[in-house]
Order: sequence, then C-alpha cells, then structure tokens
Amino acid sequence: MAWTCEQIEERLGEYLDRLLDSGERSEFEAHVASCARCARLTEHVGRLVNHVHGLEPLEAPPLLVPNILDRTLGPRTQKEGWRAWLGWLRPVWQPRFAYGGVSLLVTIMVLSQALGLQWRRPTLADLSPANVYRAADRRAHLVYARGSKFITDLRVVYEIQSRLRPAAEPQPAPEPKRGPGQSEGPPAKSPRQLNRAHEYGREFIMLACVLDAVPTRSER
Amino acid sequence: MRRHTRRIYNLCYRFTGNHHEAEDLTQDVFLRIYRTLGSYRSAHGGFATWMTSVTRNLLIDHYRRTKRDRMTDSLDDAMPKLEQKETAARRPDQAALMGELSAQVQRALGRISPDLREAVILRDLQGLEYKEIQDVLQVPEGTVKSRINRGRIELARLLEQMGVRPE
Repeated sequence: MAWTCEQIEERLGEYLDRLLDSGERSEFEAHVASCARCARLTEHVGRLVNHVHGLEPLEAPPLLVPNILDRTLGPRTQKEGWRAWLGWLRPVWQPRFAYGGVSLLVTIMVLSQALGLQWRRPTLADLSPANVYRAADRRAHLVYARGSKFITDLRVVYEIQSRLRPAAEPQPAPEPKRGPGQSEGPPAKSPRQLNRAHEYGREFIMLACVLDAVPTRSER
Repeated sequence: MRRHTRRIYNLCYRFTGNHHEAEDLTQDVFLRIYRTLGSYRSAHGGFATWMTSVTRNLLIDHYRRTKRDRMTDSLDDAMPKLEQKETAARRPDQAALMGELSAQVQRALGRISPDLREAVILRDLQGLEYKEIQDVLQVPEGTVKSRINRGRIELARLLEQMGVRPE
C-alpha cells in the first residue's frame, strides 16, 4: 500500500533518524520520489537536522563553575600571608610535575656522570667536545670493565656453590623397614662427630675449587 | 563537573535563548541537584538523564514564570532581528555566516512551543536517544517521536519564513 503525504509527514522524524525498517523505508522513499511537496519537505528538514547536529556546543562562562561551587559548597576562604603569595604555584605542585622534575634531575645526573662532568670544580674545559668525548669514552670503558668483572665474579661464586651443594646437602638415607616388634638396631655415631667430619670435607673441597678457579700469575 | 556544567548550560541556553538566564538557570539546576542528591536512584536511569530531568523541570518552571514578560517583549524584538539578518547576508566570512545561521535557528527554536522545543533540543542538540528522552520527559515513546518530528517540521517552516536555508 502506497503511503500518503500525511503518513510521510508523521514518519519523517523516524526516517531521518533511521528508525524505519527496510520495507517502510522503501515505501517512504518511493512516495518521496513521486511527490514534489514531500521531497521538498524531506530535504529541507533533513538539512536542518544536519545543520543542528553540526552546531558546536557553547562554552560555559568562566565564572559559572566557581559561582556554582560558592552556591553549593559555600564561599571558599581566602588564603592569607605567604600562602596567598604562593598561590600561583599551585598548578605546578602536582604529582605529574613532581615526577617530571625528578626524572629530569636523574637524567641530568646520569648524563653528567657519563660525561665525566665535575660539579665540585667545574671548568670551562669540561664543556669542550673533545674532553666530553674522551670522558664519555673512558667512562664507558670503565663501566664495561666493571660489568665484565662483576659477571666473572658471579660465575666463580656460582661454580663454587654448584660444586659444594652435593657435599653440603647429602640426601638422607632411607630408613630400613622394620618388622613388628623388631628393635631399632645399633646406635649411630654421635652427631658432633658427624658434623666435624663434614666440616673438614667441605673446607677441603672449597679450597680445591677456589684454587682451580683463580687464574695463576702466569695465566694473567 | 565542568563537562556537566557545559551540557546543562547549553541546554538552558538553547531553551531560553538568553545567556544570562541560562547562567542563572544552570546555577539553580546545580543547587537543586546538590540539595536533592539523596533522591537520586540509579535504578531509574543514568545520572546524566536524572540531571537532564531536573534541568527540564526547572526550565518548564522558568518558562511558566516568565511567560507574561515574553509576550510583551516579542513585538519589540522583531525589528532588530530583521536588521541583523540583512547585515549577515552581506558578510563574506563563512564562519560568521554559520554563526548567524545558528543564531537564526536559535531564534526559531524560541518560537516553537516548549513541548516541541525541549524534544528537539534533547534529540538534536543534546544527542539523547529516544529512550532517554522518554525517561526525561516522562511521556510514551510515541509522543516523543511525534514531538521530535513536529518540532523539526515547525522549525524548518519557521526558518523558511525567515528566509533562512541551511546548506
């Protein structure tokens, strides 16, 4: 059934908001295609809606929010003395600025350390590019040497630990199964004697490992 | 807070067409929200919808209160508006032209009935969904659709009479 002009006018809003189903939409468009009056109305209202959708929201007056806060929470007390003088610093006293400041300080410290700048006795020669390059190069080599020495030391310690572990932590022997009414057998050696024997053995192994890991003078 | 303030201020301005009234009404809205915050129940809808309902009620109260004043003012305002439209037509600047077009739309909004006006503002300027408008206006969905549709057509006819044609 073809739609009438009254139906078009009634459902125009739904058509523009895309709320009509496909069948209703095709009926609507079929009528609009054949009726100049409805086509003009649809075009005009459609343009208006597009224009209104494109309107930018207005900015609220700057004093509106403070006025609302005054009327709801009451007027805020004015700061006096040195607090009033430092009021302009309030935006800076925020965590993000503090983090930024600390990060900047740390960066400067790391860079100055890397470039070998002496803050206690600063000289103009420290800023010379050749000196800065030389100091940075020296610093980099020092850091590399210290790092490699640290790693070598770690490896030695790890080696010693790995060799000592089986001797230091012997696995407990499983207890023999006893039958019902059977006695516990002969008494073991005293614990003090056992500990002393372990200590001697451990010291000998450690000494052997250290001598094995430390390079001799001829190797150096 | 600022986002809501801006939204409520825009709603008030679009409804009243006056910056001072919109500012005062926005303050009244927040004062009322502050005092009646305990009555808000999230089960009845979102907070923004509730704020819009409070604003709408205040706007209707304000409309009824100032109805007599507007009837005497409307004739006096007619001449300056026509002059402004003529000067706007001579402006080469596109932005200024758009601004003037927006002002004409605002004037046309002020001439349609409050029921249709609030429906169009909520839908086309505030971007609310039909269901949200239904919650704010407390009317059936069919009425919401009808008011939005009639409001748009009325607005388009008024703009046509004013010689304004949105591109």
